[in-house]
Amino acid sequence: MTPKYLLKRLGQAILTFLVTMTVSFLLYQAMPGGPTEAMRSVILSQSGGSVDIDRLNRMIQLYTNVNPDQPMHVQYFNYASDVILRQDLGTSFFKNEKVTTLIMQRIPWSMFISVYALALGYSLSIFLGVMTAYREKSRFDSTVSSLIIGLNSIPYYIVGVVLIYFLAIQNNYFPTGGRIGSGIAAGYNPEFMLSLVKHAALPAISMGALATSGALAMRGNAIRVLGEDYIRVAQLRGLRETRIATQYLGHNSILPMYTQFMIGIAGVFSSAVIVEEVFAYPGMGLLMFEAVKTQDYPLLMGTLIVFTAISLTAIFIADLTYTLIDPRISVGEE
Amino acid sequence: MRTSNQNDSDPDQDVVFEVRDLEVTFGTNRGESRVVRNVDFDIYRNETLGMVGESGSGKSMTSSALMNAVVSPGETSGEVTYYPPDGGEPISVLDLDEEELRKFRWGEVAMVFQGAMSSFNPVKKVRGHFRETLEDHNRDVEAGLERAHQILGDLYLDPDRVLDSYPYELSGGMKQRALVALALILEPEVLVMDEPTAALDLLMQRSIVSLLKELKEEYDLTIIFITHDLPLLTKLADRLVVMYAFDIVEIGSTEEILYDAAHPYTRSLLNATPDLNAPIEEMQSISGAKPDPVTNIPGCSYRPRCPMADESCAEAEPPMADRGSGHRTACFYHDDVADEIPIPAMEAAEEGGESE
Repeated sequence: MTPKYLLKRLGQAILTFLVTMTVSFLLYQAMPGGPTEAMRSVILSQSGGSVDIDRLNRMIQLYTNVNPDQPMHVQYFNYASDVILRQDLGTSFFKNEKVTTLIMQRIPWSMFISVYALALGYSLSIFLGVMTAYREKSRFDSTVSSLIIGLNSIPYYIVGVVLIYFLAIQNNYFPTGGRIGSGIAAGYNPEFMLSLVKHAALPAISMGALATSGALAMRGNAIRVLGEDYIRVAQLRGLRETRIATQYLGHNSILPMYTQFMIGIAGVFSSAVIVEEVFAYPGMGLLMFEAVKTQDYPLLMGTLIVFTAISLTAIFIADLTYTLIDPRISVGEE
Repeated sequence: MRTSNQNDSDPDQDVVFEVRDLEVTFGTNRGESRVVRNVDFDIYRNETLGMVGESGSGKSMTSSALMNAVVSPGETSGEVTYYPPDGGEPISVLDLDEEELRKFRWGEVAMVFQGAMSSFNPVKKVRGHFRETLEDHNRDVEAGLERAHQILGDLYLDPDRVLDSYPYELSGGMKQRALVALALILEPEVLVMDEPTAALDLLMQRSIVSLLKELKEEYDLTIIFITHDLPLLTKLADRLVVMYAFDIVEIGSTEEILYDAAHPYTRSLLNATPDLNAPIEEMQSISGAKPDPVTNIPGCSYRPRCPMADESCAEAEPPMADRGSGHRTACFYHDDVADEIPIPAMEAAEEGGESE
């Protein structure tokens, strides 16, 4: 891996980030009832119409990082420099707190269920993909394949609602929402941990259902790899079945899916918006959802920018680590 | 028809593999496909046995059966008995359970086959292949890797460079030789080579063949060499097995087969072998099409293509006739074949004396 390649990839990631930020900034500004308009009306209605214009504009600038009197490009420049240089995403209208503070409070919770969901979804994808390939055309294969196709045809939020209905309302296995049971002290005690896992389980399962779409692609790859000479030679070499299944079949079948898996991280994160609403799980997604409902533009922009940054980071890491799982990919050589 | 006496092993020979009534069948939509039919033969210790025959005549299937490694859904039946060196208990290969079979493979019989180019796991270094083979057979890994160095050196490879390479970093010839080294790492008794040179250029083919001769001496190997390349085999093999239509039609020492072939198919095969020294007119292809593994030809399976076939060939399957000194052939008219199907190239060679 050459430094030149690293810089090139990093440059691409940053460029993508800037473009996303710019486009969303412009779109929000262009929206009828955009951030400054919304802010203006909120303040006016609160103060009963007795605020002078200068003071109003200062307040708006304070909250949104944008001065409505300035021309658009200056507004953009100010906003962008605040985001990039000071990591300042403005202040939420509604919650009256720094957007960065709000996001930082929520991110660990979203990370928790997303990682939970990804671990669940991807390991299930890989496992089921390999198993169905091993037993291609068996009853097991057709049952699992149809189940996965079915699961992927049902939107994940419906899966979520169904899970709540059967596992939380009909049977009291899991809580219907929230992220921790009431009256449980935070800390490294089993009670707290169990409550944490129980609350995260249903959201993670419904998001994980989204990630199992990889199982069918995995099945196809594994069937192709099973026909490779090196699998037969490995069997003739008397290697252990577990070694062949993991280091030969598993590893080689994952290769084409690695980038897809990394991009899937972004998909799972964005599904958090709906899933967290369904499960009333106070993470980043629910924050964004509330921001939409309350027209809290700085918060909305902020969460969007953070989601973008996470996706780009995941893809960047995928790019850089590809060579670790497939030595044939030599990164950065012309 | 096949009496047990007829097939008893030659008492003078130390037998390493005894194959009796070997059958390999596949169920297909069109019916049962029998790709190996009633094959009987012995493999002697420390010999090089060549197997020839056209594509799909059952050579690879027969050799896979020696390791009970016929790909599923193939069914193998019959008897394959392996005699370990120094008079150990004979092993019935087809009756081994999974774990015993896993140990048997590569430990006693190793196989190098046509796909050497893709025989290595592309994401694992060559060293990893040696290491895992040693580990999974519970051998001393350090001592084994030292051995690997030595074998790779014997094969004119730079051991450290090869071991530290990924398979894609090696050329075809290097990979082929690395695979041979991998096959020898557990010191097997028998090495099966299924068209190991098919994907290599002529020079590489010849150098691998000369290496094999050296390896055979050095590591006391029994080699089974499968190929379409008859001229190559004549330089390498002690005995030849000629397969046609999923069964052995002739077996004998290389000299016997070359100069006294007693089956019409063997003679036609010799006539069809390209030879730079012989004029092109003398090269003759074998007319007719190769048999289908699903249909059962009553009587002699070569009958539809045989110029000598008559009614008796249709009535019964010719038994293996013994022509002395281990030369056996499945033809009723084995005594007349030489006159009916001459081999011009051989006659020319005989007239021209020893000069090639």
